[in-house]
Amino acid sequence: METQLEKVLMDTAARPDTVGALVANRQGLCLVAKGDIDPNVSGIGMAIAQQVAKLEPNSTVPATICLYSGNKRCVIKNDGRITAVIFKQLTANSATGN
Amino acid sequence: MSDDIKKYFNGLLQKVSGLYVIQITDRDGVPLLRVSQEKNIDFALMPSFIPTFTTACDQASKLGLGRNKTIISMYSNYQVVQMNKLPLILTFVGAENCNTGHILALEHQVDGYLEDIKLAVTEA
Repeated sequence: METQLEKVLMDTAARPDTVGALVANRQGLCLVAKGDIDPNVSGIGMAIAQQVAKLEPNSTVPATICLYSGNKRCVIKNDGRITAVIFKQLTANSATGN
Repeated sequence: MSDDIKKYFNGLLQKVSGLYVIQITDRDGVPLLRVSQEKNIDFALMPSFIPTFTTACDQASKLGLGRNKTIISMYSNYQVVQMNKLPLILTFVGAENCNTGHILALEHQVDGYLEDIKLAVTEA
């Protein structure tokens, strides 16, 4: 049933600089996680997305949140039904632009 | 110390939107700590949750999947997340649309604070 979702996440996790990715449902429960990412992050990722959505209550376009810390990056996107959390890590190649 | 723990759990209650009550009891249902939102919700039946959870937890542990850690119960108006932290039982009551994943993620965060209470329970 979730084969399609797994395939999409597998492709996402295989992208350069991506460490891991997961998708959470409306309850903040992890549906699928691929790569090096803790499934427990799903609830916190969704909570962050919900708080950020309150900044622009009238916006119809879902916000994309990017958190930077050290050489890592966390990208969160919530479309109302599902939330995607992607962990990225800057490598030597990406830092030099190669 | 007790004030610190209560303050910490009150803070947790504010952090998770839609969370109404956090209660820590021993496995018999004796309340040790309880923090709740000002919103007055009738939890008169709450004491019956705990012994029921203990029984359900014991039965679920017999399924051959290992020791049961958490039971999530979804109702039309509320959701109840109960965690087996023997000798303690941690109960969260929230709205039906409350972020369940966020509640589950608190499990590891609260461990440090539960140690002191666990010690008090085992000594008693």
